[in-house]
Amino acid sequence: MNIVVCIKTVPDTAQLRFDSNNQLMHDNLEWVMNPFCEYALETAVRLKEAIGESATVTVLTVGDARSKDALKKALAVGCDQAYLINDDRFNGGDTVTLCHILNAAIAKYVPDAKLVLFGQYSSDQMSGNVGPGVGQLMEIPSLTFCKEVTLSGEQATLKRETEKGIETYTMTLPGVVCMMKCDYELRMPAIKGVMKANRTEIPEVKLDDLGLSADQVGAGGAFVTSMSFTRKPQKTGGQKIDGSDPQAAVNQLIDYLHQQQIV
Amino acid sequence: MVTPPTPKDQFSGIWVVVERTQTGTLAEATFEALTAARQLAAEQGNTPITAVLLLGDGDTPDPYQADLAAHGATAVLALTSANLATYSGQGYTQALTQAIAAKKPALILAGATSTSKDYAPRLALAAPLALMPDATQLTMGSSGQVEVTRPVYAENMLTIVTAPDVRPQMVTLRAKAFRKGEAPAAGASVTTETMAVDVAAPTLQLVGISASEAASSGKSLADAEIVVAGGRGVKGPENFPLVEALAQSLGAAVGASRAVVDAGWRPHSEQVGQTGKTVSPNLYIALGIHGAIQHQVGMTSSRHIVAVNTNPDAPIFEIADFGIVGDLFEIAPLLTKTIKDKNLTPA
Ligand SMILES: Cc1cc2nc3c(=O)[nH]c(=O)nc-3n(C[C@H](O)[C@H](O)[C@H](O)COP(=O)(O)OP(=O)(O)OC[C@H]3O[C@@H](n4cnc5c(N)ncnc54)[C@H](O)[C@@H]3O)c2cc1C
Ligand SMILES: Nc1ncnc2c1ncn2[C@@H]1O[C@H](COP(=O)(O)O)[C@@H](O)[C@H]1O
Repeated sequence: MNIVVCIKTVPDTAQLRFDSNNQLMHDNLEWVMNPFCEYALETAVRLKEAIGESATVTVLTVGDARSKDALKKALAVGCDQAYLINDDRFNGGDTVTLCHILNAAIAKYVPDAKLVLFGQYSSDQMSGNVGPGVGQLMEIPSLTFCKEVTLSGEQATLKRETEKGIETYTMTLPGVVCMMKCDYELRMPAIKGVMKANRTEIPEVKLDDLGLSADQVGAGGAFVTSMSFTRKPQKTGGQKIDGSDPQAAVNQLIDYLHQQQIV
Repeated sequence: MVTPPTPKDQFSGIWVVVERTQTGTLAEATFEALTAARQLAAEQGNTPITAVLLLGDGDTPDPYQADLAAHGATAVLALTSANLATYSGQGYTQALTQAIAAKKPALILAGATSTSKDYAPRLALAAPLALMPDATQLTMGSSGQVEVTRPVYAENMLTIVTAPDVRPQMVTLRAKAFRKGEAPAAGASVTTETMAVDVAAPTLQLVGISASEAASSGKSLADAEIVVAGGRGVKGPENFPLVEALAQSLGAAVGASRAVVDAGWRPHSEQVGQTGKTVSPNLYIALGIHGAIQHQVGMTSSRHIVAVNTNPDAPIFEIADFGIVGDLFEIAPLLTKTIKDKNLTPA
C-alpha cells in the first residue's frame, strides 16, 4: 500500500503584518506547514502504523527552499520519502497548474499510489481546488471534507463532515482524500525520527524531470489571475461596559439589541 | 496559455447549478445564486439564466420549475442518468462536462457548499473551466470581465481574481454573502429541456449519514442568524447548558472555540475559526472567548458582535460592537432570563 501526502508550506496567518496601505509586508513572514496538511500527514502515518511494513508514505511539496523544513518534519514523524518540487518556471501558476505538476510527480515517483491525501484548504489560497483536481487528472475518485480514514485492503471507509451531518462513504482505491481537522492529536517528531530525517536525502525535482512543458505550468498554464491583494477591512470595537452590576449591564445590552433591531 | 478548445465568444449565458436539501427542497444556496445571477444578467443586458438540475432515474424537475422561474431562471436544464441518483464528484463532473460541451455557458454559478466544493475542482480540469471558489462579491469590471472577490490568508485578506481568457468561468458563492432576493416574477414560465447524460457507476458510495449534534439541534451553524459561542471561560462541559439556554432563548446555534473542542467539551462541528467553520450571522455572542486571531477570522464578518469576558484586555473586545467586562456565569443566565421575561424574539 503506497500512500502519498501532498503538503504545502504557508505563511503563519497569525503573524501577518500590514503596512499603512493595507498591503501585506512580505519581509518577516513566518513559514509553517499548512494546518490541514498536518492532519493529512498524521492520517497517513497512522494508516502506515496500522498496516505495517508493507506500507510506504511519500510526501510531495511544490515550493521553494522554505518548504524543506516541512518535508523534514514529515520524514521525522515517519514518512519514508520526500520530494521538493521546485522550479522558477512554476511561478505565476494557479491551482490548475499545481494539479498538473502534482499529477505528473505522483505518476513518476509513486506510480502505484493507492491513496493520495491532501489538506482540505491551504490557509493562504483557501481554494480547496488542488486535491479533487489531482483526482480528476489521475482519473480516480476523490472526497473532500474528511476527518477519518480507515482501510480494509483496497477499500477505504471515509468519515466526512458537512452541513448535512456526518457522512460515511466507502471508496474503492485508488482514490484521493482531502482532510479537515481530525479528532485525534498531531504527533511531535521524536529525536530518533529527526536524526533519520536528517540522514534522508530530499531530491529536488525540476520541471524537466516531470515531462511537462513550460507552457502547462506557470503563468502560461494558469486560468485565473489575481488583480489585487489587500487586507480585509478591519472591524473595530464599539462600546465596552463594566459588568460588575450584572443586571445593569444586561439592561444596557438589551437596549443595544433593540437599537440595532436584532430583537 | 493552453489554448481553450473553443473560442470564448462562442460561450454565452449564465447557469446556476441547483442544489437540493436532504428533504428535497431547493437549498438556500440556490436562491442566493439565482439572485446573484439575476443581478449580473441585468448588468449584461438580460442574459438568459438556466437552472441546471442533476437527476437520477425517476426524479423529475417538475416540483422545482415554478420556484426556479420565480427566482429568475429563464430556462431549466435537467441532466439525467441512473447513476446520478447518488452523489459522486466523478458523476457530477461527467454530467456537467457533457452539458457544457453541448451548451457552452459563459458563466456558471453555484452556492459554495460541501457539494460544489467537491465536484467543481474536478470539473475545472475536465471541462475545462476557470474556477473561482468562495466569492464574497461579484462585479462586472470595466473591461467586461467578471471580477470575483474572495477571502484568502485565513480570511485576513481579500483578493480580486478574474479569468479573462477561459470560458466557461465558474464561481461558487459563499453562504449569505449574496442575500436571497425577493421572488420578482411569480408565475413566470420557463422552458424545460431534459438531456440524458452518460455517467459511469461511482466507485464511491454513501453508506450512512448521522446528523451531527449541531444539525440535530435544528440549527446549523453556517445558516444561523444568531450564534452563541462558548470558550474556555465556560470552564467545563457541565456548564455549557448555560450557553445552550441562551442560544435557545434566541433561536440561535451554539458555537465553540477550538480550546473547548480540543478539550472534548463540544463536538468539532461547533468549532468556529480557521480550522473550524466561518460564520457570518447577524449576531455573534462570545462568552468566555479570548479572541485569538484564529478564532476571530471565523467570525469577524458577523454583523454584530457581543462579547462577555472577565479580562478587559481580551482581544475579543477589539472587534466587539458591544462588550461587557464581566463574569459570564452572572451575565449569561441573567440575559437568558431577561429575554424570556420580556418575551424578546429575534427581529
Ligand atoms: C493553526 C491553528 C489553528 C487554530 N484554529 C482555531 C479555530 O479554528 N478556532 C479557535 O477558536 N481557535 C483556533 N486556534 C486556537 C487559538 O489560538 C486559541 O488557542 C483558542 O481560540 C483559545 O480558545 P478560548 O478563547 O476559548 O480559550 P482561552 O484563550 O483560554 O480564553 C478563555 C477566555 O475566557 C475568559 N474568561 C475566563 N473566565 C471567565 C468568566 N467567568 N467569564 C467571562 N470570561 C471568562 C478569559 O479572560 C479568557 O479571555 C488555532 C490555533 C492554531 C495554532
Ligand atoms: N504547493 C503545493 N504543494 C503540495 N501540495 C499542495 C500545494 N498547494 C496545495 N496543495 C495541497 O492541496 C491542498 C488544498 O490547497 P488549496 O487548493 O490551495 O486550498 C493543500 O492542503 C495541500 O494538500
